[in-house]
Amino acid sequence: MLAKHLPRSLKWLWALPALLLVTFLIYPLVRLATTAWSSDTLNALTSSTLWQVALLASVQALLSVGLALIIGIPIARVLFTYQFPGRGFMLALVTVPFVLPTVVVALGFRSLFGNAIPNGLILVVLAHAYINIAVVVRLIGAQWSTLDRRMEVIAATLGASPLRVLTSITLPALRNSIVLAGSVVFIFSFSSLGIVVVLGDGSGTRTLEQVLLRSTSVLLDFPTALAAAILQLIVVSLVFVISARMSRNEPRAKVVLERAQLRSRKAAIVVAVTCLAAFVLVVGPIASIFWASISSSGGLTSQWWSDLVSAQNTRIGSPVAALGRSISLALVTAVIAAILGGAIAIAVMSKKGIVATLALIPLGVSAVTLGFGILLAFSRGSFDLRGTGTLIPITHALIAVPIVVAVATPALRNVDPRRYFVALSLGAAPLRAWWTAFGTVFSGVILAAGGLAAAVSLGEFGAATLLSRTDSPTVPVQIARLLSKPGESAFATAAVLSVILVVLTMSLLLVVDRIAARRVLHD
Amino acid sequence: MTRFIAVGLTGLLALTACSSTTDSTPIAGSEPQLQTVRMITHESFALSPSFVANLREQGIDLQITSTGDAGTLTASAILAAGEPTADLLFGIDNTLATRATGEGVFDTYTSPELANALPEFLQDTQGGFLTPIDFGDVCINSDDTWFEQNEVSIPTTLEQLPEVANLLVVEDPATSSPGLAFLLATVARFGDNWPAYWEALRDGGVAVAGSWTDAYYSQFTPSGGDRPLVVSYATSPAAEVVFSEDASVTEPATSVLADSCYRQVEYAGVLAGSENPAGAQQVIDALLTREVQEDIPLNMFVYPVRADATLPAVFTDFTPIISRSASLPPEQVGEQLASLLDTWGTVMNR
Amino acid sequence: MINAGLRAHDLVIGYEQPLTPALNFSVGPGEILVVVGESGCGKSTLLSTLAGITAPIGGEIYRGEQSLSGVPIHKRNIGLVFQDPLLFPHLSLIDNIGYSLRASGKSRDAARARATELLEWVGLSEIAGQKTWELSGGQAGRVALARAIAAKPAVLLLDEPYSALDSPTRLRLLADVKDLVTRAGIPTIHVTHDHGEAQLLATRTLTW
Repeated sequence: MLAKHLPRSLKWLWALPALLLVTFLIYPLVRLATTAWSSDTLNALTSSTLWQVALLASVQALLSVGLALIIGIPIARVLFTYQFPGRGFMLALVTVPFVLPTVVVALGFRSLFGNAIPNGLILVVLAHAYINIAVVVRLIGAQWSTLDRRMEVIAATLGASPLRVLTSITLPALRNSIVLAGSVVFIFSFSSLGIVVVLGDGSGTRTLEQVLLRSTSVLLDFPTALAAAILQLIVVSLVFVISARMSRNEPRAKVVLERAQLRSRKAAIVVAVTCLAAFVLVVGPIASIFWASISSSGGLTSQWWSDLVSAQNTRIGSPVAALGRSISLALVTAVIAAILGGAIAIAVMSKKGIVATLALIPLGVSAVTLGFGILLAFSRGSFDLRGTGTLIPITHALIAVPIVVAVATPALRNVDPRRYFVALSLGAAPLRAWWTAFGTVFSGVILAAGGLAAAVSLGEFGAATLLSRTDSPTVPVQIARLLSKPGESAFATAAVLSVILVVLTMSLLLVVDRIAARRVLHD
Repeated sequence: MTRFIAVGLTGLLALTACSSTTDSTPIAGSEPQLQTVRMITHESFALSPSFVANLREQGIDLQITSTGDAGTLTASAILAAGEPTADLLFGIDNTLATRATGEGVFDTYTSPELANALPEFLQDTQGGFLTPIDFGDVCINSDDTWFEQNEVSIPTTLEQLPEVANLLVVEDPATSSPGLAFLLATVARFGDNWPAYWEALRDGGVAVAGSWTDAYYSQFTPSGGDRPLVVSYATSPAAEVVFSEDASVTEPATSVLADSCYRQVEYAGVLAGSENPAGAQQVIDALLTREVQEDIPLNMFVYPVRADATLPAVFTDFTPIISRSASLPPEQVGEQLASLLDTWGTVMNR
Repeated sequence: MINAGLRAHDLVIGYEQPLTPALNFSVGPGEILVVVGESGCGKSTLLSTLAGITAPIGGEIYRGEQSLSGVPIHKRNIGLVFQDPLLFPHLSLIDNIGYSLRASGKSRDAARARATELLEWVGLSEIAGQKTWELSGGQAGRVALARAIAAKPAVLLLDEPYSALDSPTRLRLLADVKDLVTRAGIPTIHVTHDHGEAQLLATRTLTW
């Protein structure tokens, strides 16, 4: 029915994301697949080896989903149903692990738990839950903030204990977002690479991405790599089919509630304790990185920070230049993702749902695979875009697009479409009426989408390492390069850059959240 | 709305335009005959800026892009065989070389400058397709301070390692290049009996890390870990001195177990289908000049192949050239790699 | 449990600032106490204080002889109906009505049997199979009432119920409510800003 509320002049807009997705997503992947294809691909797909890996990865991913939900749901409740000072800060903070380069997270976990928990399944699941807290908090929180709290009060007056209210009323009401968040966390954990390599028990393969890496970079066995990629795409599609079936379609009252003030002491304690726990949880694993940036074998030092400014690390490229590069790439990514995300949101409104489905493909394809495809398709002949510096932002925008779609679509569906007709009846031209009805929410969503994409870009490593110019790495690539060199200053400089990345990402998220909240809430 | 998008697109184009003009566009007028040569390499590649500047004086605008590690680099070159994404490739090593030359990735070219190389590299051209540029050794490093404090003697041979396997951290050969080199070192030493050796390491409690970074920076004792033996590079102790914060550190606290080393050689080659093969050849020659060869050690912590290249003091002082480094014929590695890794995985998981 | 009703002694409500003078009132079985007042005078706050959602600034609330201070919402045995019916959308109508019985530990079958009776009692047996969102406003209102009184609450609190409905439906429903709670003997406190409605329902009125 939303299709009716689209001015004719906007109906063609679905073609823009469709064109971009086909050019920069479908074409490179198909091209990669046809290059790698041989009859061995089928053999690998039908042999039990890959399926065993997929099974093990599924178990691991399910455990990760469970833990992420257990940790994330209480945080979502506190951050999205109460209004208190520091709320925005906490929301930005819990999002940081999601956008940090995995190598930084993995090292943090090693130094925090290194001696207590041996490498293996437990550490991998812990790290996956850690990275994905933000997915749970933001996706479930968004639905929680529109939940009518009086429903819980009614249940309590009917004699339900707080636990029973949670399990019989609140969680069922949040079912759709729980299913969505669970699916996304499952997919990220199932296709994880960096965490599994560093925190896995180091013997044997645990995810299909690991098979893919090993087949491409060590064995040069491309048919098997392709088989792993295909199987991964199958599993991811399956997850989406299952999650669509698990979602309910009941109509929901469209309420956007003001978050509750902290009136009672009990509520204040709940909020304070949860925030404190979340703070310790998020900061704990990365605190060691901060520590490494201010200490040396001789004790505390500020040298690594001052070295950064005086750029003495010319041998491994100037860290300051890498920062500037990452920031400008993030800005370009934000613009591309905002245009792409906005056009996809409009496509969804005009019932071109296929475009949204296309946009989800990057969830099932790793950044490295995507980077490989784009590298092969666009770095030679007349399609040589490599020198133009556009390949990284395009790839980053594609990686961020599923997140953009997940954020944008529900927000636009919450707008009362009758406003469009009200505006038309007051004499506004169709485009103007559309903007009057949807503009505030739309621009908020677009800003949020762009900001999230920028944050993703700042921390992305897999594609950047394939597409960077040697003399101009991004910050995560620079961190990885430093971490692959021996020597105190290399490690410490990597730590300094990681801390800067954390601060940068947090500031960005704070600004984005504030703008988006203002637009969507005050709509 | 349309105007909104149009403004966005213009901004986008402006931004990308900025990022493309920074360092690759030749300055109009001053160097009219500048020809473009594109080189792909791995992300550990590093040389002083004078390398590119000198080539520019010779009329070559060298554009360097990196593609992951050596394995990913080789993979991307094979996938693009015949329609390369660049004119030359630097950084393919002796474990993967045969696979690439067999797939028609390279044109034959051997630099005349190779005549100046150390004797063992003079004929090392992988069938005429590649030119060796540098080499290094993957060796076990030991934390000498730890051994001194704990009054344990440092092992000196591969055979002694199982007894102290609970002090050793190695890298997974399926995900780490030094990890693979160390596996190959044991295969070179023990032949078909290598699985028994690894069973002994496993039973002795060897730790396996997923990456060199994790092994060296979290599990190795100088970094706060609990393993005083780690699989790393022969040059790591020298790098510790060069990259130390404290200028008074003149001697490394770690040393190399010379018996455990495996030789890695890095090559450059002209990519088949290159748009500028002559320029590519010129760059390979430049990589072998004495000036560039002497620039290699402190940038990439490997040794130059050129015989007359002077080594920096930290190399001569702390990193003896490993005289009996192991290596396997590339053909054998190419054939057996998959089964070696499978067997290794089975042994370690049992 | 004996329905001895609800009593307020010197009750002062509000958040940081008091909204009312000290209130003293009681409501017993079969009585409907109607609280009348303008919007914002604290009527709804009174109900949420009685229900235990908001803490009082001063005074005491008694259920029979028992003081309710410190007793959490779910142990107060109170029925509450808001302006909107707020049926639980993921549960069937029967399970909505039987919710309080399940919460108090009754078996599923027992709860369903009792809920079926209640649905009949409010005259809606024929729509038992419908989804909550398929009901008309009046039907949903009746189900909400049946749900509130299923476990025989000590007191029923009605916060401007059905104010979203059209006037004839609302008045008809309110007459039914009066009939039902009087028959069931449940003490009821009803909040409204409509003096006509107050006259129609009240056995007593409270205002400040």
